Amino acid sequence: MNESIALQGAGFAAAEPRPVSRVLLPFEFRGSGGEYFRIWIVNLLLTIVTLGIYSAWAKVRRLRYFYGNTYLDGHSFEYHGRPLAILKGRLVVFFAYVAFLVLAQISPMAVLLMLPVIFFLGPWIIQRSRLFQMRMSSYRNIRFDFHGTYGGAMGAFIGWYFIAGLTFGIMTPSWVRKRVEYTLDNIAYGTQRWSFLTSAGRFYAFCYITFAMALVAWLVFIFVVLKPFMFGNIDPQSVPTMTGLLLAGGLKLWLGIFAGAIVGFMIYGYYEASFLNASFGGVQIGSNYIRSRLEVGSLVGIYVTNLLGIVFTLGLFYPWAKVRQVRYQLENTALDSDGNLSAFTASASQGVSAFGQEAGDFFDVDFGL
Amino acid sequence: MTSSTWTSGCSLIAGRYFDGKSSAPLEATLEFGADGILRLHGLQQPVEAPLASVEISDRVGNIVRRISFPGGGVFETHDNDGVDRARDAAGMKRGLSVVNWLESRWQVAVASLGAVVLITFAFLTWGVPAIANWAAQVLPASMDSAIGNGSLEVLDRVAFEPSQLPAERQRQLEARFRAMTRPLNDGHNYELVLRDGAHGIGANAFALPSGIVVMTDQLVKESKSDDELVAVLAHEIGHVRGRHALRQLLSAAGVSAIAMALLGDVSSISGILTAAPTLLNAKNSRDFETEADNFSRQWLRENGIAESNFDAILCRIAGSAKGDDKYDYFASHPPTRTRAKCPATS
Repeated sequence: MNESIALQGAGFAAAEPRPVSRVLLPFEFRGSGGEYFRIWIVNLLLTIVTLGIYSAWAKVRRLRYFYGNTYLDGHSFEYHGRPLAILKGRLVVFFAYVAFLVLAQISPMAVLLMLPVIFFLGPWIIQRSRLFQMRMSSYRNIRFDFHGTYGGAMGAFIGWYFIAGLTFGIMTPSWVRKRVEYTLDNIAYGTQRWSFLTSAGRFYAFCYITFAMALVAWLVFIFVVLKPFMFGNIDPQSVPTMTGLLLAGGLKLWLGIFAGAIVGFMIYGYYEASFLNASFGGVQIGSNYIRSRLEVGSLVGIYVTNLLGIVFTLGLFYPWAKVRQVRYQLENTALDSDGNLSAFTASASQGVSAFGQEAGDFFDVDFGL
Repeated sequence: MTSSTWTSGCSLIAGRYFDGKSSAPLEATLEFGADGILRLHGLQQPVEAPLASVEISDRVGNIVRRISFPGGGVFETHDNDGVDRARDAAGMKRGLSVVNWLESRWQVAVASLGAVVLITFAFLTWGVPAIANWAAQVLPASMDSAIGNGSLEVLDRVAFEPSQLPAERQRQLEARFRAMTRPLNDGHNYELVLRDGAHGIGANAFALPSGIVVMTDQLVKESKSDDELVAVLAHEIGHVRGRHALRQLLSAAGVSAIAMALLGDVSSISGILTAAPTLLNAKNSRDFETEADNFSRQWLRENGIAESNFDAILCRIAGSAKGDDKYDYFASHPPTRTRAKCPATS
């Protein structure tokens, strides 16, 4: 690595890092669509012929492929999840779900009574899954960790939800930010805690802009595109499928819907790009800062072409779509670094056995940010 | 890129060692010793462990291979082939290497694709409807009323006027319908609703999942006898009794679930996946029409009414239908000529 810089920095551990020693390290993705396609299709077939049992092994291979091909400063990440533990967790979740469905049929009242339970269970599952996700991830043989508590998840996901509701949605951006803060601010890489720095103002700005754009787009869509077709001939034969309505509407309606979809994608892309930039871009790891520079146009281009590719190949394009999405996101993220990524240390509790792996695996739920 | 060398029965593999305490990488070479000991060379403090105590990660694509030592240290190398050879030479467990062998070959991928397509197709064609039918039998009839709840109110607002038929005639038809449905005793609350469909609906009848059958004044006027109307009503009862709306809904949910399982985690497509079931809608819908037709014919036979009544009214409606209805009939119903024996002059 950058030995000279590391030595320079060593004597000034507490001092502000000097600008000259800073380097911008880009994330890289070294996987390819073709390679992932082969992994995906083989594991899909194995999952089908084993009636889903193999899915736990498939998941571990998939995540290892994506973690292992993600590089920062010449080193890759690693995923450590254990298939058997994941399988156990999946079976528990599956049977709990079936039991819930059966209960809902026998006694809908019981489901109503269970709603508060789900309410309290949700943040707990989020906390456990974040913990599992982080502890199962490593970089340079140093594991990540998660310090978020159940109370913290309750406050961020439920408490702030009520605050947003009580203020008629005005404070929704705070709720969005609190959720991100809970996730990112509680992560640790070894002994180094992450900090989340993005201001609430930035979340308010892009949330309100998104809301305003969506509102205008909907009004235009309803009053310009849909109105002429709304109260005309309704053929009850086609009411369930809307096929008749779409065929009756003709070219004008289709063009309207097409334009609406493009605008919808643009707004969605604006929100996604702003959200991801504000979230990951606000992370401080010691004297290192994550920079996230996703662009709305590029993101929308990838979403739209991925969608078309998947639709027109009946799903075959999926592995390439997934790789393109991951690659774009990673390659527009970088670590503004002090040039010394070798100085992180493992936390004292980091023994493989010290991790409550089994317990964490039960709540192995894929949560995005 | 192979950097392993073979010298007198032992292999040296270049890579990097992480001690598990700090994130600093240390250049090192790994030796699978003939004495059953794994050694790392090039480090200030030697690291070694018996072969049986180390763990070699499964090979996936070209990601780095990890050899984990008992003390928490990890040796990482890009030389996957070198590790495989040394592991085999040392007689160590091969783990999931057969999966990696399958994943590395395009022929296997193409064959797997063929198998997945065949299985998915078979499952969607036979499996999903069968499961939906089974689930529909298990679920109580009260589920059905929940599906179509409120549809009649909407249709009354946008499409229907109150029936213009004389009150006496309405009571007569309702009585006939009650006589038809009373013996069924299948948990549905059957009810005949008469409406004027002058605004674009025309001569038509349809069933809501709850058991409400809507028939337009225009259909009543098209009919030449009440037996013809009974044939149409029996068809609609067939839809309710066969629980087609619920089965349609369950099939759609099944298809969505499969699509989601296969392609769930690409941001842009989760939206479109909810629309996937429409691909199967048309086929299901035609099957349901045939089922309802069969129910009607059987009911007519069992109650001593000529089946020709069914053919007659179906052919008359199809004959008087406007050209632009053709699409819908094609999509959601089987062609009339396969459903009914129509006279040559329509």
